[in-house]
Amino acid sequence: METQYLRPGRGPYCKGCGHPLVLRALGEALDRLGIPPADVAVVTDIGCVGLADGQIAGPHTIHTTHGRSTAFAAGLALADSVLGAGRLKPIVLIGDGGATIGINHLVSGALLNSDVTVLVHNNFLYGMTGGQSSAFSPVDFVTSTAPQGGFLPPLDLARVLLAARAPFVARKLAGDRDLADVLEQAIAHPGFAAVEILELCTAYATRWNPLTGATLREVAEQAGYELGVLRDEPRPTFGASYRERHAADEQPAPPRIAAQAFEHRLVRPHGLVLAGSAGERVRTAATILARAALSCGLHVTQKNDNPVTQGTGFSVSEVILGPEPILYTGIERPDAVLVVSEDGARELAATGVLARADAETLVVADDGIELPPLPREPLRLPLRETAGPKLAALAAVAAWREATEALPEEALRAAVVARLGDDSSRLFAPGRSGKLAAREHPR
Amino acid sequence: MSVAPATTAVELVSGNRLTALGALSAGCRFFAGYPITPSSEIFRTMMEELPRRGGLALSAPDEISALAACVGASLAGYEAMTATSGPGFCLMIETVQYAVMTETPVVIALVQRLGPSTGGATQGAQGDVLLAEFCTSGGTTIPVFAPSGAADCHELTRAAFAWSERLRTPVVLLSDKEVGTTLEDVDTASLPDDPVEPRRPVPAGTERFAPYARTCPGEPPSFAPVGGGARVVATGSAHDTEGRLRKSSPEVVDVLVALQAKIDAHADEMALVEVDTQPGATTLVVSYGSSARASLEACLRVRARGGRVSFLRLRTLFPVPSAAIREALGGCPRVVVVEENLSGLYAGVLEPHLDGRRLVRVNGVGAMITPARIEAAVEAEG
Repeated sequence: METQYLRPGRGPYCKGCGHPLVLRALGEALDRLGIPPADVAVVTDIGCVGLADGQIAGPHTIHTTHGRSTAFAAGLALADSVLGAGRLKPIVLIGDGGATIGINHLVSGALLNSDVTVLVHNNFLYGMTGGQSSAFSPVDFVTSTAPQGGFLPPLDLARVLLAARAPFVARKLAGDRDLADVLEQAIAHPGFAAVEILELCTAYATRWNPLTGATLREVAEQAGYELGVLRDEPRPTFGASYRERHAADEQPAPPRIAAQAFEHRLVRPHGLVLAGSAGERVRTAATILARAALSCGLHVTQKNDNPVTQGTGFSVSEVILGPEPILYTGIERPDAVLVVSEDGARELAATGVLARADAETLVVADDGIELPPLPREPLRLPLRETAGPKLAALAAVAAWREATEALPEEALRAAVVARLGDDSSRLFAPGRSGKLAAREHPR
Repeated sequence: MSVAPATTAVELVSGNRLTALGALSAGCRFFAGYPITPSSEIFRTMMEELPRRGGLALSAPDEISALAACVGASLAGYEAMTATSGPGFCLMIETVQYAVMTETPVVIALVQRLGPSTGGATQGAQGDVLLAEFCTSGGTTIPVFAPSGAADCHELTRAAFAWSERLRTPVVLLSDKEVGTTLEDVDTASLPDDPVEPRRPVPAGTERFAPYARTCPGEPPSFAPVGGGARVVATGSAHDTEGRLRKSSPEVVDVLVALQAKIDAHADEMALVEVDTQPGATTLVVSYGSSARASLEACLRVRARGGRVSFLRLRTLFPVPSAAIREALGGCPRVVVVEENLSGLYAGVLEPHLDGRRLVRVNGVGAMITPARIEAAVEAEG
């Protein structure tokens, strides 16, 4: 049969092989649907089924990697549905081997409801490589890797895809007279559609097993496979849902223009390490400091570190401020170390930060934390008690500012307000340069 | 004391974020990702920014699906990107090769972390440099760009897109944890936002489209999108100019050779470096990525002490910018190569380009290489 979709002939397939039957039914289905060939992309997997490309006439063909064909097809379909005209119909031709390797791509395609039709050619074994067992081989099926017959039960792919909420699932025999009808239904279905087609591999399966076209139905029964259209319930496709969900998205904001500018007093880079506990706004305090520095025209780098866990353990931020662009973003010798919790102190000990402190290094620490002997007497403050755990880091930054006067108080105050809101200016006591008055305003 | 200008558009921004914004500015329309530290901010930024710009950002179930979806979208004609780290890149390699073979443009932002295996999720490294480049069977060069800072991420992501589209090839933007996650001040208003030139389309009215035929040597074939009027035949198998699977045909070999020829023909154009040479220098320090910043700092300190040293930062790692390297070498008898991996991976690539000069490697894992170590290597005798 020659159509605008298919070339004539059976292609490179063995006599009695099911693949040409599926191809013929596919051609018929496309012919009836009358989809322009340019809107159809036949995406093939690896194996004998992958040789079908050569039999396709008008549609695009994409021959992919083993098991991954549905993932490539999903990219095509989703991109076309959201970014393009939404006309493209990818049709995946995959074998039972490819479906085993890439089962997650089928599951994912079903969940996404990408507009992809997947035809799983299930001949119960790997054909091109010599008739090895696949996850679809029935019990007692003889293959080159199970010469006495296999003992593992076969995968029920249709049920897997039903569980993955595929809106269209069918299982047919290659010789079914209505195969083209079901393929037509599957392709016309708006969204993910999977048809598993049970067929013969005459190179291996029928040679080693009492299997014929007539007994194929019995194999299905023994495997507990239901036949026919198992589900046909359209649900919103990915493209439709995506467009709807993002219809009201705001346009991207232009770069922020910071109107306020302050002066700084740094003549060389200043490296500061702020150490505390996860969940205690250490990063926030570091970012407020960094933004305050930006508003003074300083160059800034900020690095945040935490254990692999997100909400427990230490949280350490390193901030470098400098009048010139900052090159090396690590801190070889810290100019300031602010320690606001035991977790932070432990991490500083582990990474040797305090060991690198010298007589110039300003250490600001909560007065409840044990510290090793330091070259310079640390500034001890009741940070946690007065500011509370969630503001202790910011209180330490304010104390650092007051001690160094690297930045004006107004710069830090503006950055605090910008990050924490207008009422946060209450955190600063009137007339006290940069010091948080958290005792009066506990948070 | 210095005074800042009255208004400024300087933001505190990470390399990862500017990688995403660089991609968007270049014209990226499709992103599929799977999260992995330290690259996840690229994914998150794309999920936030692409939809509002009319693009498509997809949360994929794994890295294999992510890159395959990107390649699918690119075959349909859309500029596509994914982002990952070493463990995720390992899963993508089969599809990287597929993109090479099918000549499909795609950009992969690879934000390195400590390896091997799961390694250290929140620890930096520069250990994937050869993995990124030599992941292809057959020896085809994959262009690799290595940014050293946030603004550089923006610029080099744009370069990655430009070359990916121009040559129809996968391109790796090889960032690292320090470059990707460190926040720094960048005047974001000054960053370019004009889209890069898209892949050259097949001329309108082409009757018989041969998807892998070349009109001029050293150039990729013209592109037709899947879903367009010209029939596309794409395949990862060895093929002739029509995309037909063929074995042992001279035409197939020609198509394979052309994959490399198109890269070679543009190697000099792709070479991006930052050079800071000094007359009379006896040592050239070569580095890339985050280590290049420590290296430059070390060079400036050596110079401040009266020493003479030249500096070369490679922004293009592959194709190896050999002409720029030769020029930077000048009369230096000694080359110090600085990179954060166990054995000096890129130094081994550089060695044949050094014309027998003495090669000193400064390496390490588990922490950034400090300027002090590099200074010591520069100032050491011999």
